[in-house]
Amino acid sequence: MTTTQLTRYDRSMLRLMNDRRGRPLYATTTRRRVVVAAHVTLTVAIEALIGYFCLAPAEPVWPAAVAAVLMLPWMMATGVINGATRGLLELRERALDERQSADRMRVLARAHRVMTWLLAGSVVGLLAAGAADGDALRVYAAPVLAVVLTAHWLMPLWVAGLTAQDEPAEDEAAVL
Amino acid sequence: MVRAERKVSRQSLAEAVGAHYQTIGYIERGQYNPSLDLALKIAKFFDLPVEALFSLEPFRPLTDEVYGRKQS
Repeated sequence: MTTTQLTRYDRSMLRLMNDRRGRPLYATTTRRRVVVAAHVTLTVAIEALIGYFCLAPAEPVWPAAVAAVLMLPWMMATGVINGATRGLLELRERALDERQSADRMRVLARAHRVMTWLLAGSVVGLLAAGAADGDALRVYAAPVLAVVLTAHWLMPLWVAGLTAQDEPAEDEAAVL
Repeated sequence: MVRAERKVSRQSLAEAVGAHYQTIGYIERGQYNPSLDLALKIAKFFDLPVEALFSLEPFRPLTDEVYGRKQS
């Protein structure tokens, strides 16, 4: 991390991502897992509601309204995960130090592996559905693509949240 | 522990060597091995040779060093 090259935006993001006020929410592994699980659940719920809103013939307004309401806790959960990872994925590379850069590469590589399996499962599922029912491929292709795209976008955040470590205590026995 | 002995906080050491304060914590816990560049910066900060801070073998307890108890 070379602080001299940081822009004002970088510095403000760095401050925001290292704000310790939310620490109780992600202090332990269990809490971080709960937040990630909540984030996944909210993402699925919002996506399902938006999908229903777009695809239902009557175009009811309530799914969009509920999705908009759910966006608030979703954004809060996103903020908590970003806080837990100290902005591992949100900060620019130049705002990270060597350990964080290595962690980011590790998280992205792991998320890529998970996404490969998810994509493979989606393709196999779609082809199987298409073989069973000729219309299924046409009907389900767009929703499955939307779900996979969302997962692709958020998988690194979930992986980072799940792999974040506890913060070392200040008075811990140490090497230095 | 040199950092505590010199009354340096993780935050100020981190800022001095251009690292995140958590990285200093992970190095202290033995959970992260710094690059040579970072190790040299930390050694320079404390004005000590790098081998005084980092070793392939675990350091002997300070009491053993001071009172000369033999290693088992």
